[in-house]
Amino acid sequence: MEENDHSIVRAVLSGDKEAYGALVVRHSQTVFRVAFRITGDEADAEEVVQETFLRGYQRLQSFESRSEFGTWIYRIAVNCALNMINKKKVEAAYQIAEETDPSRQQVQVSDTAAGPERVLLSQEIEAMQADAMQSLTTTECTAFTLRHMEDRSTTEIATALNISPNAAKQAVFRAVQKLRRGLAPLRVIA
Amino acid sequence: MKHLNEEELIEHYYGEAASPARTARHLLECDLCADTYATLRQDLAAVKSVPVPARDAQYGEQVWQSLRSSLPAYEKQKRTWLNPNIWKALSYRKALGYATACAVLIAIAFFSGRQWEHQRSQSQSAVGSQPRQPIIFVVLDDHLDRSERLLIELNHADASMGVPVKAEASELLSANRLYRESATRAGDSELTSALDRLERVLVEIVNEPDSSNPAHLARLQKEMNTDGLLFEVRVLRSRIPGQQESHAIRRKGVSI
Repeated sequence: MEENDHSIVRAVLSGDKEAYGALVVRHSQTVFRVAFRITGDEADAEEVVQETFLRGYQRLQSFESRSEFGTWIYRIAVNCALNMINKKKVEAAYQIAEETDPSRQQVQVSDTAAGPERVLLSQEIEAMQADAMQSLTTTECTAFTLRHMEDRSTTEIATALNISPNAAKQAVFRAVQKLRRGLAPLRVIA
Repeated sequence: MKHLNEEELIEHYYGEAASPARTARHLLECDLCADTYATLRQDLAAVKSVPVPARDAQYGEQVWQSLRSSLPAYEKQKRTWLNPNIWKALSYRKALGYATACAVLIAIAFFSGRQWEHQRSQSQSAVGSQPRQPIIFVVLDDHLDRSERLLIELNHADASMGVPVKAEASELLSANRLYRESATRAGDSELTSALDRLERVLVEIVNEPDSSNPAHLARLQKEMNTDGLLFEVRVLRSRIPGQQESHAIRRKGVSI
């Protein structure tokens, strides 16, 4: 019989380090998927997975058994992915600023971020969608990604982003409105 | 007809509408909202999920192996009730159960203690109050008993022997005053009256200058109606609780 997450956590906290391996194996695919959705980059997603499970182990004592371990580690993964994005933005902005006009830092950074949405769409639609996604704030983008692509509920999004359910709902609304404005030309083409 | 706004349509698209049935019904009835919703669906359908690169079944194990060496083992926790992790490990339902059980136990202990204390104080007060009345009754009964014997002796006194109960009457007189005053304060008119008459007889006996005079003795018996007083004293004694038992015991003793 498969051991449940709570008993594994208790075993780990009792000194059985190897037990944590079962949790990593069980949840790594989910963590990788959400990390890739948010970062849009395979290598970054793998780094996020490592960081997520490391941070999870270090904070395991703060894990409260009334919640699910999967939800808890998912939230850490979202935070790690957002940290990764922010770090990339800062690094990219710094590099570009040295080479180009500092006043256009943000625009340059936007162009360097490769969204996962570009992979399968046609060049024109892909560019439009990417531009539309770039117009979103990090919270809006993440909330929309979790809602639209990860099929997470408003409550789960709120938990993952550590915001209120209403704020999560508003973030999704704003994201949809911005995307619709950005994708409006597609309707004319169609 | 109130139309659905964009937020309501988005909520409906993601299956989080407050009232899905009502929204769906409205979309069937309202062409304008239906058109807006169709456009919304078209826009959102265009934003497709990018396929996530596949990870094989060994991926989790690979992640674990890369992490394993850098993780220090937790020290075994001592399970004491003061350890906060013990309480964290309890689910809310269990914790609530334990808290309720503790509260019930405390309540039971509290009410049991109060009940026990109440019964104890009752029994103590019963123990404390019960002997007091019998002591009073025993003392009064003893006084009336002595008075009865004195009256019997007086009634059957021989003129040649005089009044042999003068010393006894003197002792009974002082005690009788106290009992009479107590009976007056208690409002027992029957007892007061009897003790009053007894006192007058006792005074006469004590103050009798010539106890050997048969004429004096006869006058005392007649004027004081010592026969009537003797009967009255016997009636009073029969009123005292426990008197029947002591009489029975006494009769037993007499019969033997």
